[in-house]
Amino acid sequence: MGLVRAIRDIRTIKGLLTGAETEARGTGDDVPGPEHLLLSAAALPDGSAARALAAVGVDAAALRTAVAAVHADALAGVGLEAGTAAAAPALEAPATGPMRTSPQAQQVFQRAVALAKRSSPAGLRGVHVVAAVAELEHGTAVRALRRLGVEPDRLLAAARAGDGLPG
Amino acid sequence: MVDLPSVPSPEDPEAALAAVVALRRLAAQLEVEAVTEAVARGWTWASIGEALGISAQAAHKKLAAEVRARRGR
Repeated sequence: MGLVRAIRDIRTIKGLLTGAETEARGTGDDVPGPEHLLLSAAALPDGSAARALAAVGVDAAALRTAVAAVHADALAGVGLEAGTAAAAPALEAPATGPMRTSPQAQQVFQRAVALAKRSSPAGLRGVHVVAAVAELEHGTAVRALRRLGVEPDRLLAAARAGDGLPG
Repeated sequence: MVDLPSVPSPEDPEAALAAVVALRRLAAQLEVEAVTEAVARGWTWASIGEALGISAQAAHKKLAAEVRARRGR
């Protein structure tokens, strides 16, 4: 791997993980999951994740709202009404110690890195995270996408079509 | 099994598991709020741990930073 690309990848990874942590803590989750990685990827400066999401009619704000709605719907399903005003408040303490992520977020991250190595041009971009999330079958991220009328397969196809991902 | 109103059917594991996730998040939120209030009322970490069924050290490690941040605002 070229030095320039290695440095760029490190910057991307730092931005991705820091952003995911901020997204998670902003909604009261102490550990980021795939949905937080996806939201963070959408904000990466390379723009590829936001383009793939836009291709299926989704932006970060809609995704964030859908994630909150998935949890609220699930609570309503057990007889607990959690209005949007009662959405989980942000965690206020600064994150300390080594960053933790859910096992699924780790899986998504590792898959994104693997896709990045095989794509052209090589190098980690937001779209690799989108593709890795779109390969999941269950969980909050997938439910949020479906709530927006987007089947993960369609998002995966959009990600592959837009940014030179391996098939 | 707890008899909750309108529990998602066990025949729909997807919805039932999503409910578990949402309840976990709600429990974590309630835990932080309840412990912040307890500390404000002078509870010790030993008492909080005892009430939560965990050790004082575990309660402190898990929640002290967040409680401190909330009380300092």
